[in-house]
Amino acid sequence: MAQLLNDDIIKQIREVFDDGLKNPVHLMFFGSVDNCQYCGETRQLAEEVAAISDLISIEIYDLDADADLAAKYNVDKAPGLVIAAKEGDQVTDFGVRLAGIPSGHEFTSLIQDIILVSSRDSGLNPQTREFLKGLEKPILLQVHVTPT
Amino acid sequence: MIQAEMVEATEFPELANRHGVSGVPQTTINDGMAHVVGAVPEGNLLAEIQRVLAG
Repeated sequence: MAQLLNDDIIKQIREVFDDGLKNPVHLMFFGSVDNCQYCGETRQLAEEVAAISDLISIEIYDLDADADLAAKYNVDKAPGLVIAAKEGDQVTDFGVRLAGIPSGHEFTSLIQDIILVSSRDSGLNPQTREFLKGLEKPILLQVHVTPT
Repeated sequence: MIQAEMVEATEFPELANRHGVSGVPQTTINDGMAHVVGAVPEGNLLAEIQRVLAG
């Protein structure tokens, strides 16, 4: 497949990353061989983004072949992307996921998510953090978007 | 304890249907316990989460 990101875009992303990436980020891509229209493009897009910075690593998994890992990270959709932190070999999950291809405006979300995880800071205000510290039940937030 | 997932609605129409997505972005909490359409300020989202937990 031809390169998805052209040189101009790569240059722009590199500038954003040079400024915004502070700590290593680990992408975990989950694809599927069955009925997954955008798995190939999403994987390629993630790999092209990861190639822009040494601070971004990526591993490729399959929802079925790596079912245990998918369950561990609560990934049930393909293409699925876990945007995690990494120190050495230690992966730390901040619960950030993308399901489906991050194209159009959502490509910006991918880049911003990477920078957010890299900062290791949610940016939430102190009252919110205080409340969330005391959470006793899991919360799943799913933001439905369309790629326009 | 918190997982946040962006879902590309056109690729996962069954989930979008189940969550009654009428406009985007729509934020769905705990698989349908609450929905917020449009951009959600932090305080509003927190209030919705608290409402779900209290419910």
